[in-house]
Amino acid sequence: MNPKNYLFPIAFLILGLSFLLNLSLGSVWIPFGEIVGGLVSGDWTKTSWEQIILNYRLPKALVAIFAGIGLSLSGLQMQTFFRNPLAGPFVLGISLGAGLGVAILMLAGSALGFALSGINSWAIATAGILGAGLVLSGVSLVAWRVKDSMTLLIVGLMFGSAVSAVVSVLSFFSGAEALKLYTVWSMGSLGALGWSQVSILGILIALGSLPVFLSIKSYNALLLGENYARSMGIRTGQMRWVMIVSTGILAGGITAFCGPIAFLGIAVPHLARMVWKSSDHRVLFPGSALIGAILLLLCDAVGQLPGLASTLPINAVTSLVGAPIVITLILRKNFSKDF
Amino acid sequence: MERIQKHIALSGKELALGYFHQKAKKEILSNLDFTLFSGELTCLLGPNGVGKSTLIKAILGQIHPCKGSIQLDQRSITDYSIEELAKRIAVVLTDPVFPGNMTVGQLVALGRTPHTGWSGKLNPADRDVVEKALSDTKITYLRDERLSEISDGQRQKAMIARALAQDGQVMILDEPTAHLDLVNRFEIMSLLRDIAHAQRKAILVVTHDLDIAIETADRFWLLNCGTPLISGKPEDLILSGQINQLLPNNTYRFSLSRGRMEAEEPDLNFKIEGPQELIFWVEKALIKAGIKNLDSTISVSHKPFLIRHQEKEFLSVEELVFFLKH
Repeated sequence: MNPKNYLFPIAFLILGLSFLLNLSLGSVWIPFGEIVGGLVSGDWTKTSWEQIILNYRLPKALVAIFAGIGLSLSGLQMQTFFRNPLAGPFVLGISLGAGLGVAILMLAGSALGFALSGINSWAIATAGILGAGLVLSGVSLVAWRVKDSMTLLIVGLMFGSAVSAVVSVLSFFSGAEALKLYTVWSMGSLGALGWSQVSILGILIALGSLPVFLSIKSYNALLLGENYARSMGIRTGQMRWVMIVSTGILAGGITAFCGPIAFLGIAVPHLARMVWKSSDHRVLFPGSALIGAILLLLCDAVGQLPGLASTLPINAVTSLVGAPIVITLILRKNFSKDF
Repeated sequence: MERIQKHIALSGKELALGYFHQKAKKEILSNLDFTLFSGELTCLLGPNGVGKSTLIKAILGQIHPCKGSIQLDQRSITDYSIEELAKRIAVVLTDPVFPGNMTVGQLVALGRTPHTGWSGKLNPADRDVVEKALSDTKITYLRDERLSEISDGQRQKAMIARALAQDGQVMILDEPTAHLDLVNRFEIMSLLRDIAHAQRKAILVVTHDLDIAIETADRFWLLNCGTPLISGKPEDLILSGQINQLLPNNTYRFSLSRGRMEAEEPDLNFKIEGPQELIFWVEKALIKAGIKNLDSTISVSHKPFLIRHQEKEFLSVEELVFFLKH
C-alpha cells in the first residue's frame, strides 16, 4: 500500500492533539483530563474553568483552525495560479486593504475627532472587510483589462504600496492612543472574537473554500501554465475570478477579524508539497488546510507563554516560525524544482 | 494520375491574421490557404518572425482571423467552445514551466482534463488511454519518475504523451526538438511520424530543423514573408527548387546532391583526386580555411589515410591546412 495513504490519518491525529494542547495552555492551569472530560460530558468541576474553556479558549482554537485553513488555501491558489513560489494570499493587497479600512476607522476617527470608545470588534471587522473589498475591486478592475497574470501580480503589489502609504499618512496625523490601538490590531489576534463572530468567520471560510474545491481540476491543469491550461479546455479568465473572489473572502475575512497573519499563506503550501511530495491539488488542498490549521494552533500555543498572563501577538509568532521556514526553503537547492 | 482521397483534418481559406496594436490593425499573415491532412506529419518551416506562432494561435482559437476562416470538421474554429476544441486539438508548446513534484504518469494523466468530470478523476477508460499514450511514446518505464529528475528529451516525450492522451485528431507542436541533442531530435520526429501514420492523426510541427524534417516529414509547409504558403512533399519541393524560398538571399542554397543547406560554393581553383567521400571532406576543410587557389593537385588515399601535395605527405587534414596556410 502507498505509504502516502497514512499521511492524512496522521495529520488528522496531529490536528486533534494540537487542538487539545492549544486548549490546555493559558494563564490559568486547567488539568488536561478535566478539559477532555468537560468537553465530552459537559460537567465541569469549576464554573470558572467552564467559562474559560467554552467562552475563551474554544472559540480561539476554532478561529486558529479556520484562519489556518483559509490562509493556506488562498496561498496555494495564488502560488499555482501565478506559478510563483513566493506568491501568498496577500499579494493582491488584500491584507493591506483590510488594514486601510481599520486604519480609517481608528486613525482617521481620532484625527477627525470620533470617539474611540465606539470601536468594538464588529466595527473593526466590518471596516476590515470593506477595506479588503475596496482594494480587491480596484485590483479586479485592472484584472478585467490586463491579459497576463504577471501584470496582475505587479498591479497587486503596486496597489499594496499605495494603500500602505495612505495608512502611513493617517498614522502621521493621528493621536497616540489611536496609533497604539491600530498597532495592536496590526499584530493580529485570534482571541478577541466571541461566538457570533466565530460563526460568521466559519461561514466565510466555508464560502471561500467552496470555489477552491470545485475547481481542483482547473488548478491541476494550471500547473502547466495558462497556455497549456487553455489548450486543455480550462477557461483561465474565469479561473482568475474564482481565485480573486475566493482569496478575497478567505484572506479578507480572516484579516478583518484577526488582523494580518503573515507567512502562513506562503509557507504552508510548500510544507504540504514537502510532506505529500505531490503537486496534485486533490492532495495539496486538504493537505495545506490540515497543516495550516495545525501550524496556527501550535503558533498560538507557543505565543501563550506558560506561566504568564499575557500572550505574544500571533503575527509575531507566525513570522518567527514562518521566516525560518521560508529561508530554509529558499536555501534548499531543489526548491524551485519541487515547486 | 489517380487522385488519392485524403482526409482533411484542418483547412484555412483566404486567411488573414494580425493583431490590433494601439487600435491600428497590424496584419502579419494574409491570403493564407492551407490544408492539414490526417495521417500525415506536416512540418511548418519558415524564418523567425514570419508568423508561425500567430498561425498556431489562430488554429488554437486564441486569436480570431481578420479575414477568412479555419475549418475543423466543416465548422469554423471560432465556433467551437474552448472545451470542444480541447477534445480535438492538443498542443506541445515551448513554455518551459514544469512542476518538479509531478510524475510523468500524472503529467500524461493531465491530458485527460477535457474528458474528465469536475474533480479530474480518471475512470478505467481514461487510464487505458494514458497507458497507451505512455507506451506509444515508449516511456512506460518513466511513469513514476519525477519531472525534475528526467532529461530534457524524456520530458519532451512526456509532453507528447500528454498531448496524445488528450486524444484529439489534430496535434500541434511548437519546436518540440529545440534544445535537444541530435539523437533525441531524430527519435522525437520519427516518433511523431509513426504516431501520425498509425493513429491517423494530423500532426503539425513547427521546426527549424530542416535536415531532420526532410528525413521524417510527409509534407512541408513553407512560410515566407509576402509569399503564399507553399505546401508539398519535401522531395517535390527540393526537386522543384521551391525549398530555396526558405533562403531569401543568395548566400545559401539547398544542395540537391548533398540534401542540405550549404553556403553558395565559391569558385574553386584546385583539384583533388581520390575516393569521392574523401574528396568531399578535404574540399570542405579547404573552403572553410578560405583556400580557393592551388597550383598543384592534391591526392587523397584511403587505408591508410594519406594526403599528398607537392611531394609532401600529410597524415591528417589538419596538417595539410596548416601547411597551406603557412
